[in-house]
Amino acid sequence: MLNIEITDLTRRFGRTAAVAGVDLRAGPGVFGLLGPNGAGKTSLLRMLATAIQPTSGTLRLLDRDPGSYGPRQEIRRRLGYLPQQLGYYPGFTVTEFVEYFALLKEVPPAQVPAAVATAIERVQLGDRAKSRLRTLSGGMLRRVGVAQAIVNQPELLLLDEPTAGLDPEQRVTFRALLRDLGQRATVVVSTHLVEDIGAACGQVALMDGGKIVFHGTPLELTALGEGHATGDAPLERGYSAVLAAARS
Amino acid sequence: MSAVDAPALALTSGGPASVKRGRLRATARLLRLELRHNAMLWMIPVVAGLFWFTTYRKVMSMPPLWYPRAAALQPRLLLVFVCPVAGAAAWMGSREARRRTVDVVSITARSRCVRQLITWAATAGWAVLAYLGCIGVVYGVTARQAIAGGPLWWPVAVGAASLAALSALGFAAGALAPSRFTGPLTSIAAFFALALSTQLINGSQSYWVVSPVVAAPWDLGPVPGVAIFYHYLPDLPIAQVMFLAGLTAAVLGALALPRNSGRRSLRAAAAVVTAAGLLAAVTAVRLAGTGKLDAHGMIAIPALHDAANDRPIRFTPVCSHTAIPVCLNPAYASDLPGVASALEPVLTEIAGLPGAPARILQASVVYHQGAGNGVSVGQAGPTISGTPPAYHLLLPDQLNGPAFTTSQLADVTRATLGPALIIQLTGYGPAASPAQRAVTEALLTDANLRPQSLALPPGPPGSSGPSGPSVPSGRGQVRTRAPSTPPWLLPGSPVVAAARRFAALPVSARRTWLLHHLPALRAGQIPLAQLP
Repeated sequence: MLNIEITDLTRRFGRTAAVAGVDLRAGPGVFGLLGPNGAGKTSLLRMLATAIQPTSGTLRLLDRDPGSYGPRQEIRRRLGYLPQQLGYYPGFTVTEFVEYFALLKEVPPAQVPAAVATAIERVQLGDRAKSRLRTLSGGMLRRVGVAQAIVNQPELLLLDEPTAGLDPEQRVTFRALLRDLGQRATVVVSTHLVEDIGAACGQVALMDGGKIVFHGTPLELTALGEGHATGDAPLERGYSAVLAAARS
Repeated sequence: MSAVDAPALALTSGGPASVKRGRLRATARLLRLELRHNAMLWMIPVVAGLFWFTTYRKVMSMPPLWYPRAAALQPRLLLVFVCPVAGAAAWMGSREARRRTVDVVSITARSRCVRQLITWAATAGWAVLAYLGCIGVVYGVTARQAIAGGPLWWPVAVGAASLAALSALGFAAGALAPSRFTGPLTSIAAFFALALSTQLINGSQSYWVVSPVVAAPWDLGPVPGVAIFYHYLPDLPIAQVMFLAGLTAAVLGALALPRNSGRRSLRAAAAVVTAAGLLAAVTAVRLAGTGKLDAHGMIAIPALHDAANDRPIRFTPVCSHTAIPVCLNPAYASDLPGVASALEPVLTEIAGLPGAPARILQASVVYHQGAGNGVSVGQAGPTISGTPPAYHLLLPDQLNGPAFTTSQLADVTRATLGPALIIQLTGYGPAASPAQRAVTEALLTDANLRPQSLALPPGPPGSSGPSGPSVPSGRGQVRTRAPSTPPWLLPGSPVVAAARRFAALPVSARRTWLLHHLPALRAGQIPLAQLP
């Protein structure tokens, strides 16, 4: 079952093509989206999140066309999205903030309390559930962002830099959560931290200049880096090798 | 962190009815969250303080009558609320952009316009609740003080509709121009727009009377005597509520017009609501422009006017047990003891004499729009009418001006009505005979009224003849012309001598003489020498 089907997808901002003719297919599992700054990862993710519309190309999500209102609403009910910079309402408690998004995502009201509690527990913020967001650290706020993204148990989860601000222990735990979520949903993780990809993702795509320059498994990416000098870890060397090849 | 194997939680299972029920419940819970975290909630203490310092004390210093308090409360309370409500609404309207949550909330299943509507409803809800709290305080105290009538709800409706409109305008400003400065700037702009909206009113017939700060004819103000003898006219409030509701609908509908607001049918509905709102607002403005000051001190709009409201309110007057009963509208029952005791010497003096009134009845005031903002005020009907004759009086409290204490009211009534009653009895006037002058002065002296009053035939503005009371122009003051003693009142004049002689008579002798000679005296047929 393919949850993401993209053909020749392009998104332009003025004269700049942030995403230029991307083709991609992904089913359940954790899908890593790697790339340097400005590669087009966030624009691609925002299109997948139905936040912006593509300039051209076709996009099908969860076997539906997000260009039409009804199917788009169906997709949005089954979607989780953590943007790169998640704003928050400082007066809300963790529970209220996650509940707010559960209600906006049309989680059945009777199931909202349990769904909220589960989401908060899954990001290990149960002991801070009643804390106001203004009292939380940056890492905790990031976890609140993840909680709001997963509160509706999405079939398509889009996470833009989810581990930014998390301490090493939290990142390890978070990777385990990603693997769990990937068992039933398509989880797209956009990051430039290659160790996250190596630890959690079954598939990885590397973007540069708005195009996908590599699509395969982390092991395949690692293999491409053999003999390449740039990078401390094998996956980093693969990343650097692909980018270098794409730019040459 | 643990995995949960479950399908996506989405409100799509069950029939359409259960989905609709679920959406309603979700909306209620969203509203509860918005209510709990609304900026307007933090404005309520500010509003309460402003209400106490600028409105409550001033309104409660007015006579305990429903109309003047309600009509004064409406604009004052609006000016208290305008800044906090417009500012809080703009703050809430700009929240998603300020807090950078636009992306994450815009990809949820709930449409943008529903989300905005819930946030606006929470803001407007708190504002209206606080407003009703202030109204409740004033009306609660007034209910304990007022003797007659009941609370007026149309001014309350205008206020509530104003807050809805202000919050909608503020919210739209915040949503369309999101910035941390939008809230304060919107507050200031809304205050000046509201406060200056009356500047172009010229007379009662003006499109600008649709402004919600106009609760009474602009050139007249909330006169205490209005809506006591005649029904309160809801014509202007109806037009104002129509205008404000239309404005609210138009603004909120316009917010739902952009493509990303929701599905096409929703946007089509929003377009219809916007058009209907604009139509209602424009119609209301045009209706307000046709309003004019009616005879009873309120604005009548022909197209909205109910002729049944022109009939006087039936009431059983409250009367004193003086020699000539003084009968007042029950709304003024608290004034009766003071007025009766102030007039008692005069009433005892003239009771039973030919031409003396059988009772004194409170009359209503009539208003007439003059040129520009000028209004002439007079007493409804003749001063004396009926069989047996009743003398009609206006209390100073019925007219515009400062509130009087009970003793001030008694003083003013004695100083104005006392001479008027005696003048009416003796037929005193510019062509009065010396005997008439002497008897008038004797009676005034005997009733402890200043004889100088004779030189100053008083009368309310717009009333004809010297027999009406004069109009108080300040707290406990009576507007008078420059005092000048006429030659016939100078010491040693024949009139003064005769007056003193007549006043020195025993009461019974004086009454007997008056009983027999008063008609002839009034006709000017008694020479001064014939006075006992």
